[in-house]
Amino acid sequence: MASTSSPAAAVVEERESGGKRKRGGATGESEVLGEEAQPSSKWRRRRVHEIYSSKLLDAIRLVRSGSGSPASAAAAATQPRNRAVREAADRALAVSARGRTHWSRAILASHHRRLQAARRARLREPASPPSRHPTSPPGKGPKTPALARKAKVLGRLVPGCRRLPFPALLAEASDYIAALEMQVRAMTALAEVLSTVSASTSSSSGGASSSPA
Amino acid sequence: MSSRRSRSRQSGSSRITDEQISDLVSKLQDLLPEARLRNNDRMPSSRVLQETCNYIRSLHREVDDLSERLSELLATSDMSSAQAAIIRSLLM
Repeated sequence: MASTSSPAAAVVEERESGGKRKRGGATGESEVLGEEAQPSSKWRRRRVHEIYSSKLLDAIRLVRSGSGSPASAAAAATQPRNRAVREAADRALAVSARGRTHWSRAILASHHRRLQAARRARLREPASPPSRHPTSPPGKGPKTPALARKAKVLGRLVPGCRRLPFPALLAEASDYIAALEMQVRAMTALAEVLSTVSASTSSSSGGASSSPA
Repeated sequence: MSSRRSRSRQSGSSRITDEQISDLVSKLQDLLPEARLRNNDRMPSSRVLQETCNYIRSLHREVDDLSERLSELLATSDMSSAQAAIIRSLLM
């Protein structure tokens, strides 16, 4: 069962109450330049939260219709559906990033590759080798082996960032963390709304059936 | 020609300073949950990287849990497009 009071969610909420959340309708100046560069403020704007929530709703509705009739959905294992929801949520997050970060492009590219591979498998075409970037450009690397080791772990955690030079990796990680926090906020809100709606729907239908004629 | 400009841009990117790196590290530190508990003294970079990895992993776990929860909610409720419109407006 998902816990509702996890450390990460608590952090996210506390940071919001610190007044950093941007509301729509502020003067245009706040939208210019410097704000765009800061990942934490970029992912805190109400607008991007709304856009993501809407895309998220569409994406998971598609997952539901993709699993076919309710009978087959019940029969199907829950694990693939969980993963389908997770991947749909990640793709919606990547789209909300507007293609300006490595991690977002990597999420969409890997999905695209998988679709193409499935398509090719159906058509039985010879598979083309996946294109890889050439070796990463030389950049300022971390100095000590301990740092290098941790940077490598970080590079594996952030999608598409295994070969990035150290400064770019840090910038990607900052943006990715801010985006993930928004994803948690939006998915939590959607889950609350859905559980409230389904609870009220079932209770109202129960009430209707028991009301006297 | 433009090749000279691109070459100088390449060498410019490899001349990232220590200061820029420590600036990025401290920005990362500010995003971490512990940044609020401490008085934002500089943590060593290796500690920041470690905590960043831990935090990303915990966020991933959280997203997985939420995916599971949403998946269960999807299974139990059928959603017409009218209901979806209501839900969408509730999220805004």
